[in-house]
Amino acid sequence: MDVPAISTEHLSRQFGSLVAVDDMNLRVTAGQFFGFLGPNGAGKSTTIKMLTGLLAPSSGRMEILGLDLTNNPVEVKRQIGVVPEGMALFGRLTGAEYLNFVGRMYGLGRDTAAKRTAELLEFMQLADQPKALIADYSHGMQKKLAMAAAVIHGPKILFLDEPFEGVDAIASGTLKAMLHGMIARGATIFLTSHVLEIVERLCSHVAIIYRGKLVAQGSLEELRAGVQAQGTQAGPDAAAAPGEKLTLEEIFLRIVGGTRAAEQELSWLG
Amino acid sequence: MAGVSSAPELPQARHESREQFAAIAHLRWRIFVNSLRTLRGRLEAVSWIFIGLLFAGMGIGGTFGLATAAWFLTSQHKVEWLALILWGVLLYWQLFPVMATAFTESFDSTNFLRFPIRYRSYFFIRMAYGALDPTTLIGCLWLVGIAAGVGIADPGLFPWAVLLIATFGAFNLLVARVIFAWIERWLARRKSREILGVVFLLFIVGVQFIGPLMGRYGNHRGRHSRSVIPGVAATLLPAEKFTPPGLVGASLGAASNGNPGIALGSWAIECGYAAILLWLLDLRLRAQFRGENLSEGVAPRAPAAAREKTAVREGLALPGFSAPVAAVFEKELRYLSRSGPMLFNLAMPLVILAIFLLGPVNSARRGNAAVHNAAFSGYAFPLALAYALLILSNLTYNCFGTEGGGVQFYFVAPVRFRQILLGKNLVHGLLLAFEACLLWVVVCFVLHPPSLGITLATLAGALFASLVNFTAGDLLSLYMPKKFDYAVFGRQRASGVTAFAALGAQIAIVGICAVTFALTSYYGRLWLATPILLAFAAAAFVAYRIVLNRIDGIAISRREALITELCRAQ
Repeated sequence: MDVPAISTEHLSRQFGSLVAVDDMNLRVTAGQFFGFLGPNGAGKSTTIKMLTGLLAPSSGRMEILGLDLTNNPVEVKRQIGVVPEGMALFGRLTGAEYLNFVGRMYGLGRDTAAKRTAELLEFMQLADQPKALIADYSHGMQKKLAMAAAVIHGPKILFLDEPFEGVDAIASGTLKAMLHGMIARGATIFLTSHVLEIVERLCSHVAIIYRGKLVAQGSLEELRAGVQAQGTQAGPDAAAAPGEKLTLEEIFLRIVGGTRAAEQELSWLG
Repeated sequence: MAGVSSAPELPQARHESREQFAAIAHLRWRIFVNSLRTLRGRLEAVSWIFIGLLFAGMGIGGTFGLATAAWFLTSQHKVEWLALILWGVLLYWQLFPVMATAFTESFDSTNFLRFPIRYRSYFFIRMAYGALDPTTLIGCLWLVGIAAGVGIADPGLFPWAVLLIATFGAFNLLVARVIFAWIERWLARRKSREILGVVFLLFIVGVQFIGPLMGRYGNHRGRHSRSVIPGVAATLLPAEKFTPPGLVGASLGAASNGNPGIALGSWAIECGYAAILLWLLDLRLRAQFRGENLSEGVAPRAPAAAREKTAVREGLALPGFSAPVAAVFEKELRYLSRSGPMLFNLAMPLVILAIFLLGPVNSARRGNAAVHNAAFSGYAFPLALAYALLILSNLTYNCFGTEGGGVQFYFVAPVRFRQILLGKNLVHGLLLAFEACLLWVVVCFVLHPPSLGITLATLAGALFASLVNFTAGDLLSLYMPKKFDYAVFGRQRASGVTAFAALGAQIAIVGICAVTFALTSYYGRLWLATPILLAFAAAAFVAYRIVLNRIDGIAISRREALITELCRAQ
């Protein structure tokens, strides 16, 4: 049996009385482009922080490529790349200096780090401002740089927390091209995003977290079939019309039971 | 663009402003109360109570002292001399917040501009925030003391004294606000920020030269100084009468001599100064209110043909150390090289030595045997190095402060925190070693080579001090981190707890070294100071190793607090 890229067993995290992640059993197979979805405050960022070593779990186990994260943090971190929420950049370095620094922190040789830095800067179209400090980069440039830093060591798994937030269409295209390339070479990508259209287009598998609990997990087709089956059991009104293909947004809303803003009545709004 | 002073419905606008002030006051109160939920917050509150007691002592003691001085000068019919006291108040009021930023306001009131706040309200908020600063409160208290002193000595002069001193207080408040507002504007751009950082530190250091220079030229009995000092004084004194403290003194003097015309004229000029400052502050705050954008951007991409091919230099190799340690070492050096204030640390030894040379050498020339002996028997070297150590402790005790969001990288990278801190400590150690070498060479050339015993003992003391500072600094950097923002001027830099702990550690270190030097010197066995301090250094090294071995566990247990503090927006 293949070792899953990511697996959690009864993973939980509490902040005081709030249970942010509750008894989560997640399994991501190697080579998947995995979308991790949930409404605001559902526990997405808490989960990704735990999986990348930024946050300790209250209980449960996490394995990355078969390695226990709690017992082998350094070994695990060597295998993964992360673009955290805040991007983790050092504003007073130039892009090249930062990538060089990151490469060496991941154990690359000096020459390899320098070579990959140059290649990544070119690929991300960040090479034309060699003396600009990261603090002076635009948000999109910073995002591309953070992505470059996350892949410089050739990780087997890439964790991305809202990678396309605040990124324009051109930069977004560059990032997507790189991600597709990584998947083609066998890497696993685990991403969270609020933009369901992007997840639907990129991801082969999806998990949905709601109020700290994992409420759905599987390929898009499996989720669609599950929702349609539930709809059929609930009655003809809830079922999708024959031949209708539910979008990820519709699947998501049916699973988490969300209400659209338009359906709410705020009479005092202009 | 919307105007900045449109207020069509005054009563409603006033009511709205009152509500906004109440909301802001409530917000500040809730921020304080909520901060007490954490241990760090409670420790900060305790440190602020101590700081408050310190300031209260300074304020009340100063008030009585200045009231007595004002009473004495007035009753001796030398009320013009109040200008001297007022100069002291002005210098304290303006310089103390710049040099002791740990005790200044850290909240950025420009955050309120996102709300529908009127310009007048915004102006009031900015002024009110400044007025609640401990320095301002103490300054005001001292001015009250001076006015009371004048009133007790000459009740007839009291109303006029109150008016003049209140104007002087308003002038001081405005100067502080104008300086902060304009310097923040310059700090918003990187280049000007770095230039200003160096200028600012040169200014602070320049202030420290006043004492030694006064010692050299003020009391010098030489023919040259006798001819220079009166000439300089003769040029400066008439001009001094037109400075704000001089105007208050002149106006009070004129009023006490029954010359209302000059008294009123002096007050009018004082008001003129305040009006100019008000205008400058208004200019700045209106620009902020209109939503100026001071951020720097990167120029658009050049055409492909014009671009240079990226050439990336290989990173620094550090023989004997792992790649992550070398990478952190290089990164720290780059950070140092790009920060005016930090870069200045490298030039500090020469400045320190100049201060020492101007002081002791001139004292020696004046026949002060004790200072003469201290300087020429080589104590200038340990004294200067102790000062350098004190300056470097700023870097050591909050070593993650400049990382900002980058600190997250250390937690996702396959490195141990001991490697990261070792890299940082190596840079700080290198800086101290560089400064020690430079100081020793300059002492040798300018004064007299320190004896071998003193040189070795000083180096052993520096080693001991560095290891203690690294041990305590590494722990405090994890337990009490404080985000350091290059674009913010005159606001809190380190946490109150860190400031106290660092000061305590320096007092303990310097105390141990001084006692060792004194005792071994007293018994005529100065050579013993080196092995004693090396023994202390060995003990400190053991403590450092223990801390370094456990630092990963500490960092992991502190990661949430560290990330929360360093990644927050302000």
